[in-house]
Amino acid sequence: MKHGRKNPRSADAGGKLSAPAPRLEKAPTYICGLDDILEGGLPRGRTTVVNGASGSGKTLLGLEFLYRGALHGEPGIFIGFEEPPEQIRQNAATLGWDLPALEKQNRLFILDARLKPDLVRTGKFSFTGLLAIAAGKCRAMGARRIVIDAFEVALRLFDTPRQIRDELHALNNWLRDSGLTAILTIRPPSRSGASPSEDFFESMADCLLSMDARVTEQIANRRLRVVKYRGSGFGRNEYPYVISPTGLRMAAITSVGLRYKPLGEKISTGNARLDEILDGGCRRASCILLAGLPSTGKTTLAATFAAAACARGERVLYIGFEESEAAMIHNVTSTGIALQPHVEAGRLAFLTQYPEALGVEEHFMAALDRIEAFSPQHVVVDAISACYRMGGKQAAFEYLMRLLNACKEKGITILLLNQLSGVTSYMEISGNEISSMVDTAIFLNYQFSLGETNRVFQVLKSRGSRHSNQKREFRITDNGFVVEEVYLGEGDVLTGAARQRQEEHDRLEAQRLAFEIQMKELELQRLRLAQEQMQQARAQRAILTHPEKSGTPPEA
Amino acid sequence: MNTQNTSPGDNRPGGGQPVYRFRLFVAGDEPNSRQARATLERLCATRLRDRCELEVVDVFADYQAAIEHRIIVVPTLLIESPPPVRTIIGSLEDEAQLLAALGLSDGGPRP
Repeated sequence: MKHGRKNPRSADAGGKLSAPAPRLEKAPTYICGLDDILEGGLPRGRTTVVNGASGSGKTLLGLEFLYRGALHGEPGIFIGFEEPPEQIRQNAATLGWDLPALEKQNRLFILDARLKPDLVRTGKFSFTGLLAIAAGKCRAMGARRIVIDAFEVALRLFDTPRQIRDELHALNNWLRDSGLTAILTIRPPSRSGASPSEDFFESMADCLLSMDARVTEQIANRRLRVVKYRGSGFGRNEYPYVISPTGLRMAAITSVGLRYKPLGEKISTGNARLDEILDGGCRRASCILLAGLPSTGKTTLAATFAAAACARGERVLYIGFEESEAAMIHNVTSTGIALQPHVEAGRLAFLTQYPEALGVEEHFMAALDRIEAFSPQHVVVDAISACYRMGGKQAAFEYLMRLLNACKEKGITILLLNQLSGVTSYMEISGNEISSMVDTAIFLNYQFSLGETNRVFQVLKSRGSRHSNQKREFRITDNGFVVEEVYLGEGDVLTGAARQRQEEHDRLEAQRLAFEIQMKELELQRLRLAQEQMQQARAQRAILTHPEKSGTPPEA
Repeated sequence: MNTQNTSPGDNRPGGGQPVYRFRLFVAGDEPNSRQARATLERLCATRLRDRCELEVVDVFADYQAAIEHRIIVVPTLLIESPPPVRTIIGSLEDEAQLLAALGLSDGGPRP
């Protein structure tokens, strides 16, 4: 019997058979999304270390933890080694947080702990002054929370790793005895190799968060990761976060890949012929990719799909990166698709933004917000090729992966439009390397023959259903998307059509196989990445369990 | 007050010489604080006899004073006079260094 052990997965375990393990008490951060990631909050009465470079928002996280805590009846103390309190108050004011009011009510205290620049050192000293202040203030205010910001700055006072360890040890002991829920923020050293203090920080922390702000193509992308959380489960992804006008916001996506709902029943694409080709339509909660050159009819097909869904009484969210809502509705009206009534009936909603307007997190948050508020059964993204403009390939990939994950978890069908550029390459069709997430891929193209340009499409993939790979001709008429009979070239006019068809078929089959191979390669890449992450985690754990073996003294 | 090692000189009352005002922050009776206090008291009884004021503040008893003066580490010595205010942290075990900080190193103002 193992019921004496803490089960980090107890939330999922049902817990009927064994006695419930004493659950770790948690202190909610009240920061939007963070408590979901932390499965309730930070470990109460314990220390959390937040690791992050300057500009990552770690100070803000600490401050918001105190601010929201104070509003919820838990007074707190902020000890800042870096920023003057006035600056902290001003920064908070831009987020609408009135810190002076809380300070007056004795619910918040900000200690200016910046070191004086002209300090002379002679002999031994310790942080006892700091601890005395903290202890005195805690008693006076009944504080429950404490944040020590940029503690690595304070540690610069000490010369030897030994002294640093002693000081950290004293601080750690004091924090444990105080019963305060603590956050220590530190900026990791820029030099390569962990400093001994860093190891110690990590080992004294019951919870370790890492924050990261990367700037790609002038757009900041921020990520938070829970590195460890003793005695508790937690989300294991990198979570995007933004500094919203009211504070931090995180996207709490539950474990990717594990909780997908199975694909649902077949639903109509809005076009009977296409449904036939797809053996009854697409599956609900699946991911459908429509790829093609500009003006091949992707938007028309998407509008057909949306109109059909709305006509069934379902809701569709249309995320557009190229056109305004009015322009999009107007454009498809000429093909006989009336979207306006569905908008008015509250079944169709648009979210249109220029990709460059926001960072990838803001885009994702905006989409998630709309999905939460509108609860659509289907989401259309027009077009994923525009996502590159959010900040490069990686940004586009992350945006789409998160959006896809969110949709899959919620059982939402997602229709992705991908505009291919110039040269038609099937390798491009997968779109931002998301091919393994795609259940159905439809490729739209032009077919030139004898001075005519015809539109053709082909189903390249359709998971979990029989489908025809044959190329079909279609037309965009004022009556919508019309699929012709099996493409036979230009009838009798073409000679040697049979041979051409065979050649064409072989070529397409080869391309389809190449596409499959690419998908497998991506799958492999993802697995390799996961393996790497596991190895890193293992290495980290090894360091934590044997801290004295690693770590080199910083300097004499 | 232990006034051991009384050395000659410096026994002239203040006239013309600056008066030192010290505020020493200690943490109860912990060793570093004790040493700093002893060093300082010795200095006040010898080199700075009759021209030195020493106030000792225990941060545990008066944390407000510690907040006011941004006392993060202990012991901390504030030299409040003569200006400018200077801050010395540590147990002051190196008396020469202390004297240097006070501008009293050898060759400094001796009678």
